[in-house]
Amino acid sequence: MCMASAGRLSRSRPLPATDHERLARAVALARSGDRAALSCALTLIENGALVSGEMSAEWQQAALRCHRIGLTGAPGAGKSTLASALIGEFLRRGRSIAVLAVDPSSPITGGAVLGDRVRMSAHADDSRVFIRSMASRGNPGGIAATTGASALLLAACRYDIVLIETVGTGQSEVAIVRAADSIIVAVPPDAGDEVQALKAGVLEIAHVLVVTKSDLPAAERTANELTASLRLRADRDRAVRVVPVCAPKNHGVQALVDALETQRPRGTGKQDGDR
Amino acid sequence: MNRSVEMPALDAAAAQQWQREYDAQIGKDRATVNRSGIPVKALYTPADWDGTRHLHDLGYPGQPPFTRGIYPTMHRGRTWTQRQLIGLGTPTDYNLRLTDLLSQGISAVSLIPCNSVFRGYDMDETHAELLGTCGTVINHAGHMDEALAGVDLARVSCAMNDPSPFTLFAFLLVTAKRRGVPWTQLTGTSNQSDYLSHFVANHMFYRLANAGARRVLVDQIAFAIEHVPRWNPMSVVGQHTQQAGATPAEAAAFTLSTAIQNAEDCIARGLDPDRFLPRFTFFFDISVSFFEEIAKFRAMRRLWGRIARERLGAGTPQAWRFKFHGQTSGADLTRQQPLNNVARVTIQAMAGIFGGLQSLHTDAYDEAVSCPTEAGARIAIATQNILKEESHLTDVIDPLGGSYYVEAMTDAMEAEIERVMARIDAVGGMYAAAESGLVQRMIGESALCFQRQVDQGEQTIVGVNKYAAEDNAASPAQPKPDPAAMAQHLTQFRRWKALRDGASVKRALAALAHAAESPRDNVMAEIVRAAEAGITHGEICACLRDVYGFGRPLVAV
Amino acid sequence: MTIIPKVLVTKIGLDGHDRGSRIVTAALRDAGMEVIYTPPWQEIASVVKLVLEEDVDVIGISSLATDHLIVPKLIEALAAAGLAHKPVIVGGIVPDSDARELEAAGVARVFHPGSAMQDIVTYIRAAAERSRAAAYSE
Repeated sequence: MCMASAGRLSRSRPLPATDHERLARAVALARSGDRAALSCALTLIENGALVSGEMSAEWQQAALRCHRIGLTGAPGAGKSTLASALIGEFLRRGRSIAVLAVDPSSPITGGAVLGDRVRMSAHADDSRVFIRSMASRGNPGGIAATTGASALLLAACRYDIVLIETVGTGQSEVAIVRAADSIIVAVPPDAGDEVQALKAGVLEIAHVLVVTKSDLPAAERTANELTASLRLRADRDRAVRVVPVCAPKNHGVQALVDALETQRPRGTGKQDGDR
Repeated sequence: MNRSVEMPALDAAAAQQWQREYDAQIGKDRATVNRSGIPVKALYTPADWDGTRHLHDLGYPGQPPFTRGIYPTMHRGRTWTQRQLIGLGTPTDYNLRLTDLLSQGISAVSLIPCNSVFRGYDMDETHAELLGTCGTVINHAGHMDEALAGVDLARVSCAMNDPSPFTLFAFLLVTAKRRGVPWTQLTGTSNQSDYLSHFVANHMFYRLANAGARRVLVDQIAFAIEHVPRWNPMSVVGQHTQQAGATPAEAAAFTLSTAIQNAEDCIARGLDPDRFLPRFTFFFDISVSFFEEIAKFRAMRRLWGRIARERLGAGTPQAWRFKFHGQTSGADLTRQQPLNNVARVTIQAMAGIFGGLQSLHTDAYDEAVSCPTEAGARIAIATQNILKEESHLTDVIDPLGGSYYVEAMTDAMEAEIERVMARIDAVGGMYAAAESGLVQRMIGESALCFQRQVDQGEQTIVGVNKYAAEDNAASPAQPKPDPAAMAQHLTQFRRWKALRDGASVKRALAALAHAAESPRDNVMAEIVRAAEAGITHGEICACLRDVYGFGRPLVAV
Repeated sequence: MTIIPKVLVTKIGLDGHDRGSRIVTAALRDAGMEVIYTPPWQEIASVVKLVLEEDVDVIGISSLATDHLIVPKLIEALAAAGLAHKPVIVGGIVPDSDARELEAAGVARVFHPGSAMQDIVTYIRAAAERSRAAAYSE
């Protein structure tokens, strides 16, 4: 193609050694409420600035009150619409929300179109909402290598909720498990064979299975199949909920948020090493 | 010269001889494919199409299958309507320009409202800098009256560029009523009333979410059939998709599929195809791909005749006629060496004329630079007059009919159009296809493909990627509305709004919302009532957006 | 560690044609850049918030139908938010005299119809690298 340059951007300019210092400065400002500094800090992290163990531990501590929620699911499952409805409900409950919207990078060119933000346009202008788009940059598992650290920083900046919306391939998204306290998997109705494929990996990581587009007749069948599959699993010490949601009509969204808040009440938080 | 059909054996020998000599002399030949992806050969002969097919495949003008024209007389009887889209500034500015153009020979009115109007806003709801730059700022019925001062509505055809919810149509009706002109005498078109083309391509026109736009469109058609019987409420648009990058065959297919969708919606409402199909018109882009465009229009005329009869069940010939307005394609015009555009527009206009259009707009040469200047607009009209009266292009009906190439290409375009239509049908029709994003993806791919061809020099654009000159003349300044006049227009509007009776405004809006929510009411009737009660364009749009949802196009790269 | 330019392609104002902005977005992605692509009719305040949160390196405005007339308002709003260092480029139908005025108002570059896609891509990449270097080098 005339306009493609083969392969990823080949010019490399290594970041100066003082990047870690820049990050520390930006973070200090960010944690006192400076959004521009927060944005810069996220850029530094995304481009490889070292997050030291000490920094990370400090952020973990500050992030205890934050609920980090991962949202994944196959393409076409309606994640963005669901995310938008979730944001709306959290805002209604008086929470502040930071969103990390991850889109896939092209494996050939390394570029990406980050289009998730615009699907949350209903809430993007709210001052209690901070939205940051990220490209997966070749990282397998649906998120970027730096998404976890980015989510942690946002949590440390006192957002009540950090919502990580990922690229779903329908397979096991292990990476997101480390980045989030609760995992929602969006399942479209009548997913058919995909439900079978989903069962394998996804049921292991999900806390809530959301059957999207619940106004469609097939949604009930899909919800029942998922519930049945859950019962068959040996691992019963995790209560996984199945919640049907029709986001455009705002059906089931409150139930979903209730389920999330039950699963992980405010004020408690994952410690490093928790599942 | 009268040739009889050649004997096959002699013909085959001569053909072979030509092929041999051609191959020997041509050197490195180039494979040619037109914009729709159809291969174009070096020579067409009776082997490709022959005259025995005349009656079956072409027919006589005015008779099925209509390939040669929808009327027996075509342009020889009544030349195409010269309908230049114009709009600028205040209603008074518009009226001045309109009067000037009418004196130069345009035979009909087409009114383009300001971008703010397209977006559903009143002038006090948007950036003042953007008022009146590309169209006329009309926000209530009184403005329409000013804009059309001195125009005899009973005799001059008026096209309103007017997407759902058709406020301009409503303002026109109120104006006619106030002037004592019966609605039964009004002629014109709700131009570009095709919400699906707005959803998938020209988003500026897209105001109400699809389900609501669909409802209001059918209501408008039903209302017009009943009360304004000479009005064309449906203008199915091929121009938007082709300008957005669809190939000519794709644009034709999307348009016909949309027409089918709208017709089926009307039939589902209980309307009679023999009553509404005669009031369906089409609006097309005409590119510089000369023969392809001619073939496209001829193919569509044939296709639509068949669809109207066989698929939509219409029994009267008036319902089978493919009436269309053509606009020369702005996407083909260049900013570089803008006077070259006069040549391009001439070629495009000729293609439309040979394609048998009913109404034509020619772009001004400076269209790629700004909204047209007066000088550009005058040349655009003169171009039409030259084609008509100096070249005598109207003397012969369908002059290219019977050309081996044109007929073969008409057949090929028809096949390609049907192929794309089948894809749309396979997903449930045009409404479903648009909602799923299929149409947008196809348009996007074609746009990218064309861009690559230009970038790689496979498609020449004179003055841009070939024959470029260093000293391109600076583009003329954008004609801008007089700020003082616009400021006054705004002040007067605010004052007028403040003087209205607040209670009756509220009542009218409540009635409109109620009608919009009731499946059995005709929303268009209520829009007209609201217009008569002095409700503004922005208020009507806001009310219906509340009920039906704010229209957001599906955006994908 | 490679720096990947982050570019905003958006439309403010009233126009609704997006053929050009979609093509440029695809070209930038194919050249290895990350592009935030928005629908038309973005409010100026929304664009400012987006630029701040996303930390884009270059702001690309697609303007047909005279929307370029409000680009100076965007530039003012960006400056007020402390974002004046991020280059704004405009692509679309802009008469020469207006283009000069835009550049005087702070627009880094105006691309007209017929611009070669490769030129646009090259310019944006260079502008992004300059912008990033300036922001992260002190």
